[in-house]
Amino acid sequence: MWSIIREAFDKTLLVAKAYGILHITNSYLCTVALAYGPSMIPTINLTGDLILAERISPRLRKVGVGDIVIVRSPVVPSRVVTKRVVGMEGDRVTYLLDPHNSDEVRSTVVPRGHVWIQGDNIYNSKDSRDFGPVPYALVEAKLLWRVWPPKDFGPMQHIAR
Amino acid sequence: MWSIIREAFDKTLLVAKAYGILHITNSYLCTVALAYGPSMIPTINLTGDLILAERISPRIGKVGVGDIVIVRSPVVPRRVVTKRVVGMEGDQVTYLLDPHNSDEVHSIVVPRGHVWIQGDNIYNSKDSRDFGPVPYALVEAKLLWRVWPPKDFGPMQHISR
Repeated sequence: MWSIIREAFDKTLLVAKAYGILHITNSYLCTVALAYGPSMIPTINLTGDLILAERISPRLRKVGVGDIVIVRSPVVPSRVVTKRVVGMEGDRVTYLLDPHNSDEVRSTVVPRGHVWIQGDNIYNSKDSRDFGPVPYALVEAKLLWRVWPPKDFGPMQHIAR
Repeated sequence: MWSIIREAFDKTLLVAKAYGILHITNSYLCTVALAYGPSMIPTINLTGDLILAERISPRIGKVGVGDIVIVRSPVVPRRVVTKRVVGMEGDQVTYLLDPHNSDEVHSIVVPRGHVWIQGDNIYNSKDSRDFGPVPYALVEAKLLWRVWPPKDFGPMQHISR
């Protein structure tokens, strides 16, 4: 009987170690993100893409304008959003207030320690135009390589606007 | 010779596992914070106190007004600050603009997904009165129990203002 208990314990420990390594990799190195929704059309499909995202660049401050990043929402803390960085601290960003209806623009300087994020589809995106600049510490990962669907397999475009 | 290499490998693995457990505990369960500076006088000493802080409450949404929290700075992302939560989302916060010189107050409603933090020593504290409400996701830990200096050993006071 004890040998069964010991075997159960050993197997559980093995699973726990495997999960630990998986979790560390996912939290600190590289994760797979399912990005869906209309706000990053045409870069990311409406129905969802699986994209590899690495978590090292934000820590080393290697995130810049043009990168697509996963950011923890400043409005709903349990949610993460995927947007493009349009301005770093000190940059001046100019954006359309209401792209559907008018050409009116607003211009702000991104404050220290913050980034300005926008969806590529400005007609249907809640981003910094709504909730303002986001503290840099909320940037969690940088999208790297799309792995699904197969026709879109490849690197994420880095377009500096 | 191989037995020395194997022993070195085993010992290294042991150290790595011990560090892993320590790191997981530190990052997800409970950490020891050295809190210093003038902004939380008289609650926290100028020269520094060692305080146990737990990281579970922020994740399950159990942070409220009166708690002393460790928050990642929205201005300098590498830095963490220790302040008291004075308002949660939806609360109306009233604060003195310039406590040294005037009685003029400002009043603001804390936006959704944010918290308002202030140092107990409002005369010498950079807090939400300077950098505005802070997204809840930046709250990292809640201070629990002071362990050093010995004369101040005991729980952190929870004062609702």
